[in-house]
Amino acid sequence: MDLKAVEQLATDQSSLKAAAGLAKPGKWSGVGGSHDGALIWGECAGSGANPYRVMADLRDLGNKCTCPSRKFPCKHVLGLLWLNAEAIVPFKPSDTPDWVSDWLGRRRGTSAGRPAASATPGAEKDLRAARAVDAEIVEDPKDVARREAQAARRSEETERAILDALDALGQWIGDQLRLGLSGFIDDATARCRRIAARLVDGKAAALAGRIDELPGRLLALPPGDRPRGAVVELGKLVLLSRAFRAAPRDAEMRRAVATSETRETVLADPGALRIEARWEVLAEQVQTRRDGLVSQTTWLLNLGATGPRFAMLLDFFPASAGKRGSVFTPGERFHGELVFYSSAQPLRALLVQRAAAEEAQGVEWPAPDATLSDAMSLLLLAEPWTIDIPLLLPQGRIARDEAGGSWWRSLDGTSALPVADTPEGLLCGTDLSITAAIWSGNRLTILAAQTPWGRIGSHD
Amino acid sequence: MTDAIRPEAIYDAMGAVLTRWTMGSAAAQAAPFWRAELGEDPAEAELRLLALSGQFLGIAVTAEPAMSLRVLPDIPRLALPTLPEALRPLARRILAPKKMAQAELVHFLAARGWTTHPADWMPSGGDDDVPEVYAPWCDWAEIAASGSAARQRPNEVLTADTWDDFWPTMRKAALASLRRRDPAAARAVLEAKLGNENAETRLRLLALLAERLSEDDIAFLEGIAANDRAPKVKTLASSLLARLGHGSAIDAEAAELAGFFPVKTKGIFRRTQMIEAERLKTPAQWQRRRALFARADLASFSGSLGMTPDALIGCWSWNADPEADTALVGLIVASGSDSEVAQVADLVDGPNATGLLMVLAPRLGPAARAKFAVTALNAQGIRFELAQAMAGPAARLDDPLSAPAGKTLLAALRRDDAKPADFGGELHALGLIASREGARRSLERLTAAGLVQGDPRLDMLRLNAALDDRGEKP
Repeated sequence: MDLKAVEQLATDQSSLKAAAGLAKPGKWSGVGGSHDGALIWGECAGSGANPYRVMADLRDLGNKCTCPSRKFPCKHVLGLLWLNAEAIVPFKPSDTPDWVSDWLGRRRGTSAGRPAASATPGAEKDLRAARAVDAEIVEDPKDVARREAQAARRSEETERAILDALDALGQWIGDQLRLGLSGFIDDATARCRRIAARLVDGKAAALAGRIDELPGRLLALPPGDRPRGAVVELGKLVLLSRAFRAAPRDAEMRRAVATSETRETVLADPGALRIEARWEVLAEQVQTRRDGLVSQTTWLLNLGATGPRFAMLLDFFPASAGKRGSVFTPGERFHGELVFYSSAQPLRALLVQRAAAEEAQGVEWPAPDATLSDAMSLLLLAEPWTIDIPLLLPQGRIARDEAGGSWWRSLDGTSALPVADTPEGLLCGTDLSITAAIWSGNRLTILAAQTPWGRIGSHD
Repeated sequence: MTDAIRPEAIYDAMGAVLTRWTMGSAAAQAAPFWRAELGEDPAEAELRLLALSGQFLGIAVTAEPAMSLRVLPDIPRLALPTLPEALRPLARRILAPKKMAQAELVHFLAARGWTTHPADWMPSGGDDDVPEVYAPWCDWAEIAASGSAARQRPNEVLTADTWDDFWPTMRKAALASLRRRDPAAARAVLEAKLGNENAETRLRLLALLAERLSEDDIAFLEGIAANDRAPKVKTLASSLLARLGHGSAIDAEAAELAGFFPVKTKGIFRRTQMIEAERLKTPAQWQRRRALFARADLASFSGSLGMTPDALIGCWSWNADPEADTALVGLIVASGSDSEVAQVADLVDGPNATGLLMVLAPRLGPAARAKFAVTALNAQGIRFELAQAMAGPAARLDDPLSAPAGKTLLAALRRDDAKPADFGGELHALGLIASREGARRSLERLTAAGLVQGDPRLDMLRLNAALDDRGEKP
């Protein structure tokens, strides 16, 4: 592998330039290579919460990355090849991870990795130029002041637009009550779509996304429970818009209503909670949303003694970017540093750095919460508009009712919670000593559980 | 303030609040205890009531299960240990693609003394092609699907009295094991209980008598052959009887079939008998011969020719008429004794030998199947996939890659235009028939030929090479 090949493989000069920025040890973790030297892989921190998995076959330069880029190869692949070519980090020989083997099994032919140069003969690419650091442009203080003033004006405009949109939302909620919740439940999808579109215009994109998903959550409830579910959902919207009005500049409120901070902003925040611990990947949830985005949520359990018990890595990407590979394997454990988005109850986080995956044995899961009802309501005291509440449930078992619905029931029989889907196989044929689950809108989604048969996932 | 309000009062009011909102009327009146919080403006009061009620209903009111909840019994531990933890991801990858690969792998694992982890694979209730060791899980799956909460009694001895305490798969397994230990007791249980089962079950249970079949079974089998309600059960009983030399009497059809195969004598000094198929001239003749074979049994056919079954097999002119060869082997499989099956397996040779051995395979023991697979690999150059089908799950070949199929495979993998997904089936089959040592050596040679260690086509070989062989050697 030499740098010439990296240069030839790149589709254009800008890819090469971006790759030069990624060819640094700090951007990568879990870098390794197969014993025979044919395959290399690594995880590269991108702009999202989850890192990208990057892999390449050095025999024919076939490659794959889990990022949504349409360029092929993307900058991450070029970066990985660059790391390898210049031996910037050691590629420790190790057993090929499953995700690399899976990719290898799906590859169709050897043509994939042919240099792109032949396709675009006109495009001149130059490694040296890509490496050159742009000279820092010294800005005129007047320009800086003007730009800051513009930013402040934009921020005020956004705030005003959001407040207007929230007025419209309040009006809309009142209308739903006046028109009757039975009609709302029947026509929820269309009605929610209309107000969501208004909220998007009013720059309240996060709130719009939430309202777009509301009918889905409502219709997942049994018909008899839907009026109650509608009151809970709409009530949370009232609480959220009132909370925003009280603190429109608060980062947490902005995140819930408008947009999230960028990765850079969270990383640069000196007050952000940073936890270095051993984490276990509980599950990954991938959901295509009504607004055309796919959300990828990775739930992590903190196996250490300090810091939040759960962390959630959340990314969005357009559905048009195609199916994306998983970033983690459920059950995988790793030592890593997470930075949490500022919040009264920190949950959403970004992965800053992780060491290579380690053996799943050893450390036990933390003990479940002493009182289940407290665990279910504690988060709501700080953020009453929250929808998903991660929980560790005490000893219990899956039971079925006469209608075929499934319930998680505690060993002592005192509590029973309805389970969202119908668990099958091992999950309902063994004791669950601890269960990690998400409680949302009166439905329990099981992520993973500890059992006499070891750790099992919800789809095992 | 709200502190003074009893939750019961709020709870009681929620019914009225929900009803009003569902119908589209204002609900603030229904929650007088929150009057101060709701304020004077009617529209604002409704929104505030919505926020408060939503919070209350979201936290304090959860769904209650109906009176009775059913818990399924524990998934039982099996007689063989589950696969070591480190090998489970590999097994999961092999199990993922299709049903065929699943059946092959679970049989392979059982032959090596292991079972799958129930989170990775479990049989479904009606699964028939599953190693006997999984019988408790088959029954568990049936219990789960049936809605019945009955408990299994795995330690119970199967008798006519305890018959109904067993779930079907465990019952079949218990009967098979009883037949191996005490053939007469197993037959006695069947005599008492077989009549109550449906035709499919009768067929499956009766087939268990093939193990340790003896003269003592004749009376019972004759009763079934004469009186059972289902033709296929009758046919099976007749075929078992024929294996004991109690085939149907020589009748006109057997004689007609014999007419297609004249017995000739050969040689001047040592006059030996030869059976050669008559050359057939019309499609009608072919069809008639096929039909007669389908209804005949070995004893009556050989009797019509005036000889014993083993003499018939010895005099048969193999490879002269391939269709007749196949029909005769089919006849032996259905109604020949074990010694006749062994006799013909040693005799078959020539270009059709592989096909004939495939027909014989279900009646051959694991050791014989593996032996013939090796012979066919080396002498006839068959592919690993075919060899695996012939050898069954218990083969342990030490050097399969040296067979012609191995050389062909290595050469193909080295070719420049080889695609990453080619020969997946061959490599998988190779992983199933190799011994642990054979798998290790094959991996070395394949990686030396340019395959990457992590190549998913090598999964089965990698699993085999890493798995301790705890199975009974055939």
